[in-house]
Amino acid sequence: MRAAVARALMALATYCLGKSRGDWASAMQAEYDEAAAEGRQLDFAAGCLIAAAREMPHHAEGRLTIADHALALGLLVPMAFLQFACAIGLSGGRKGVYAMLAMDGGRMPYLANAQFSALPVLLVLWLLLGICHLRLAWLLLDRNWTGVVRAGAMIASAALTLVLMVVVLQLQAVFLVPVVGMLAVEGLGLFALAQWDGRASSGALPVGAVG
Amino acid sequence: MARNRRPSKQMLLLVQALCARGREWCHGYDLMKETGLMSGTLYPLLMRMTDQGLIEAEWREPAQVGRPARHVYRLTTAGAAFAQSLDDAEAAPSSKAAFA
Repeated sequence: MRAAVARALMALATYCLGKSRGDWASAMQAEYDEAAAEGRQLDFAAGCLIAAAREMPHHAEGRLTIADHALALGLLVPMAFLQFACAIGLSGGRKGVYAMLAMDGGRMPYLANAQFSALPVLLVLWLLLGICHLRLAWLLLDRNWTGVVRAGAMIASAALTLVLMVVVLQLQAVFLVPVVGMLAVEGLGLFALAQWDGRASSGALPVGAVG
Repeated sequence: MARNRRPSKQMLLLVQALCARGREWCHGYDLMKETGLMSGTLYPLLMRMTDQGLIEAEWREPAQVGRPARHVYRLTTAGAAFAQSLDDAEAAPSSKAAFA
């Protein structure tokens, strides 16, 4: 068990060091065998992970990795859960598809009927938004920019369809305004990261530069 | 790259250990044992000092078959001069005591 945890920590340290510090990751891995021979592999591996984490802000690739993870875990994943919450009505009755329907249902019976008919589509759209956000976070961490563009286009399409449906069905959805704003922030963040990654990949940035 | 900050205690320990070996190469794990530094402290120092040209590193074939190649380290000429300047300034009395 200790050996498995230690190997996992070493793998994580290697990931954190990235290509620009690949030599150092190999050097640590070679010394890991020496530490393992003396039964100190867990201490050694934990130290290597700390070293790799401390090193990340000092090189361009590490800073890019930190930015990727901050956007994915700090914005995309919470946005995904927000979409799921809207879809399944976990927002305490003030937000989400059920709240929107309940607000207008009593005034115009024909409109209410149309709104209830649209309920499955609204649910699917929100669930799709949530799933696409999770997929987008995964693709971003994988630096699969083609996939990121596809997932981003899917999110934009779903969000636009959702907004159009809300407008056409005259649903009360003021809370959608900040969500749309967050989607715009996501788009800008992704664009900036793609530009940054492109510059780093083309060698315009000194990947191993000490910051 | 010229250093304009006071070296840390850990850096002084590492410089002392490398200086004591002169031009002899040594492994990272051996440096850990000699200095008492943990890998989380030693490797950032080695990386930084290598970037600064104070330490040189190269790969060496393993002594035992089946083991991976290992990195070895020693002070460069600039590193030795840096160590000498530390000695001259008597900036590391505590680390000297530790090696006494």
